[in-house]
Amino acid sequence: MTFEHWLRTWSYLPTLLQGLSTNLAILGALLSLGFFVGILIAILELYAPLPLRLLGAGYSWVFRSIPEILLLLLVWLGPARFGLSISPFWAAVVALGLRSSAYQAEIFRGALQSIPSGQTLAARALGLSPFGTIRYVLLPQALRLSLAGWGNEFAVVLKDTTLAYAIGVVEVLQKARFISSREFPLTFPAYVTVALLFLFLTYAGLFLLGKLEKRLRIPGLEARR
Amino acid sequence: MRSRVVCLILLALAFGVLGIGAEKFIVGTDATWPPFEWVSAKGHMLGFDLDVMRMIAILEGYEIEIQNLAFDAIIPAVTLGKVDIGASGFTITEERAQVVDFSSPYWTSDQTVLVRADSGLTLEAALSPGRKLGAQRGTTGAFWVEDNLIAKGVAVELVLYETYPEAIMDLLAGRLDAVIQDQAPSEQAVRQYAGKLVIAGIIKTYEEFGFLVAKGDPKGILPRIERGMKKLKETGAWDNLVSAYFGNPLEVIEAAWEACIDVLLVQKDPVAYAACLAQKVQELSQK
Repeated sequence: MTFEHWLRTWSYLPTLLQGLSTNLAILGALLSLGFFVGILIAILELYAPLPLRLLGAGYSWVFRSIPEILLLLLVWLGPARFGLSISPFWAAVVALGLRSSAYQAEIFRGALQSIPSGQTLAARALGLSPFGTIRYVLLPQALRLSLAGWGNEFAVVLKDTTLAYAIGVVEVLQKARFISSREFPLTFPAYVTVALLFLFLTYAGLFLLGKLEKRLRIPGLEARR
Repeated sequence: MRSRVVCLILLALAFGVLGIGAEKFIVGTDATWPPFEWVSAKGHMLGFDLDVMRMIAILEGYEIEIQNLAFDAIIPAVTLGKVDIGASGFTITEERAQVVDFSSPYWTSDQTVLVRADSGLTLEAALSPGRKLGAQRGTTGAFWVEDNLIAKGVAVELVLYETYPEAIMDLLAGRLDAVIQDQAPSEQAVRQYAGKLVIAGIIKTYEEFGFLVAKGDPKGILPRIERGMKKLKETGAWDNLVSAYFGNPLEVIEAAWEACIDVLLVQKDPVAYAACLAQKVQELSQK
């Protein structure tokens, strides 16, 4: 591995960045999917009647149990058995999104449970409906409390997007493989470059989340944390 | 005015119907295996297999969409109907033939044993007990080591890699004694690591490559591939393609491909395209 190899790898940077934009697109879609489904599952697990509560717990169990790469293949190949077609990109979003929703559900569940039960009683006594209690009292606080854990989930799923190569999504790692197969000596420099890109992305993402956490902080509530 | 609008609508409808009517098959390939399939510096997917697929599609009047996939995933994708054709330098094996249908062979390849130049290993020495051998997962090189060495009690250690270059890296780092792989990629490795790697020897496996489709060929693709290959061979296009793709540096092939591909994709003339490619490769490699 010489300096020249690094220079040559550098010339592939636009290709790698193009691949990285696919990772970011998957990331954005899967986090959004995971966020909304995750909140729903957390609420089901905590406040729904027993059958639904079991459903939520089962969901969380299933999607935290199946290895991600297997989940990807199942979501991508599975619908074909019923004559349905899903593109590799959306299969990746759905598979990784469902998996993430299960983890996010646990983050939100922990945060919701950490809010003193007196608040629920007070809200109900003031005439808020059960839904209103969740919507206006519990969730706004819980989501703030979730941010730290959520940042961790962000860092995890960001890297998971590279798994999508297995079902044919041309993301950044796949681009690196293309480079490496074309010029064998660039294999290592290309992989290191991808690693550096992820170091940067994780840093940038966590930095922004940290800012968000500060901005959303409620004075007076901080003492509790 | 109105009649014009009606005409336009009719035209659009006609095209719409044609669009639906035009058959489209998805071709699955792992584009990390030059010169059979790879991605050029400019990001185009090219290679012998892919050009054959494109040429046959034009000759037989269907469209193709090339889908990149991990090598291991192609056969499952074909069996489940996610992909219609597998074109990725697949050796025809009995095991594979149990789950998919193959075209007639289009290429014959042997396995090569690659070693470090300074190791001085001969073919026999490289494959003797105690050696550490590398191969790409799911490839016939790996199967050969399993069937002809390990199953027969030769105590070699087989290490499997996701991609071929990763095995080469470990070979160069001294963590492997030899890497077993098809001829063309081995030659590329020797070219690109000049002086560091040599081919210790060739294992005559007489493997035949085939294109593959789902078991029973439900979409009737194989007869069309056969017909297309026959036409390519009769017109000399096949030989031109072979002379362009094999034994030449990848940059040269890429430049020639860029220069000629419109003949195939725009003018839809496979024979002229193959001639153009062969000629351009020759011109460029003389420079």
